[in-house]
Amino acid sequence: MRILLILFSIIISFSNLQASEVSEWFEKESNQFLEIINNNEGTESENYEKYKYFVNKNFAIKSIAYGLIGESIIKQSTDNEISLYIDVFTDYLIKTIYKLANSSTSSSIILKDVDVKNDIYIIKSEISDKKSSANLYWKVIDTGSSFKIIDVIIENTSYFVTKKSEFNKILRKNRGSLEALIIEIQKI
Amino acid sequence: MKKHLKVILFIISVSFFQIPLSYSNEVETVSGISYDEIYDPIEPINRAVLNFNFFIDDIAIRPIVKTYKFIAPEPVEKGVSNFFSNLKEPIRSVSFIFQGEFYKSFNSLGRFTINTITSLGTIDVASRVGMEKNETDFGITLAKGGVSSGPYIIVPIIGPSNLRDFSGDVVEYFVDPISNSFPNREYVAIGNGLNERVEVDDQLDKVRGASSDRYEMIKSIYYQNRNAQLEEEYIQNLPVPKIYIE
Repeated sequence: MRILLILFSIIISFSNLQASEVSEWFEKESNQFLEIINNNEGTESENYEKYKYFVNKNFAIKSIAYGLIGESIIKQSTDNEISLYIDVFTDYLIKTIYKLANSSTSSSIILKDVDVKNDIYIIKSEISDKKSSANLYWKVIDTGSSFKIIDVIIENTSYFVTKKSEFNKILRKNRGSLEALIIEIQKI
Repeated sequence: MKKHLKVILFIISVSFFQIPLSYSNEVETVSGISYDEIYDPIEPINRAVLNFNFFIDDIAIRPIVKTYKFIAPEPVEKGVSNFFSNLKEPIRSVSFIFQGEFYKSFNSLGRFTINTITSLGTIDVASRVGMEKNETDFGITLAKGGVSSGPYIIVPIIGPSNLRDFSGDVVEYFVDPISNSFPNREYVAIGNGLNERVEVDDQLDKVRGASSDRYEMIKSIYYQNRNAQLEEEYIQNLPVPKIYIE
């Protein structure tokens, strides 16, 4: 019985430790993100580089990009196509975040809660400016060496789910052609 | 009124006996809705209606909304929004009864009473005394009763919906005790519609040009928001990508 209690307390303290680690990471990166949003004094290309660094450092780009097209498309595509797709998608993700950040001035991102389900951390935060506030959820994985974002949910709208619907539609319309999807993404 | 009743009954019966909602197993959620292939048999018509809606929005509704947002100070905007939201509390209360949520039903009625007496509904006093607003409608009542969402539809001027939710809206329009007590209820409906358009103005601006296919994007966002109202652990249950080593 005592052993069970010890094991139980070890598990509890381990998960608390992980939650505090992810909270610490989140506080640091969200502050950095706010700094990027609020310091737009550089040239457009300089600002873009800052977002590029932030996205490459914090997003699980390969997992998101692969997840959006599904395994069957990955299997039927060539290595060159996949590599080009990853590059184009990365650029698209950076531009999306760049545009969203440019259309709003955020004064704070406050961490509300951290939950864990199936090894995925669900970080609940609140983003607000002078006028309004919104719930912002981040789904994050621990890769061992760092934490990486796999989805961002603003209020109830998931980036991953929304983009998956759009990409699937393009793929279906073009009989699963990854090349066609790449062209469509480049057009945006 | 009898004619209206027939229309309502027809819509409900169609909604109950329609063919299965989704046919993809790729990304199923708890509510059974696949985000990948939402049942959309009249897509060409829907796309045409969406284009029509954006056209009307561009030439008529958007300018009104932008002017209103420019002129009206924030407290006025908030007050108007609260006023229309308060008018819906009695019908929310009725919906909660059908859902078996009696506490929430009383809460809605209490909120309506407090907010109407104190400020004609323009200030949400009830929230400040701990009576939080709970959103619901007849579409959600039907969903909780096991009615599947049916085909996705875009209603002219109104916007995205599905057969179940639109049926719920029609029923609400005719049974809403507050709207029915207004002599010119059409004006209330128009005012409410414009207020809802004001509330989504920022989001709509972001949707414009943010996607290669705004139709797909709006459809996905609509279903995600409806599911969020239906599922307890919506955020936790959202599909996530398979993890690859970066």
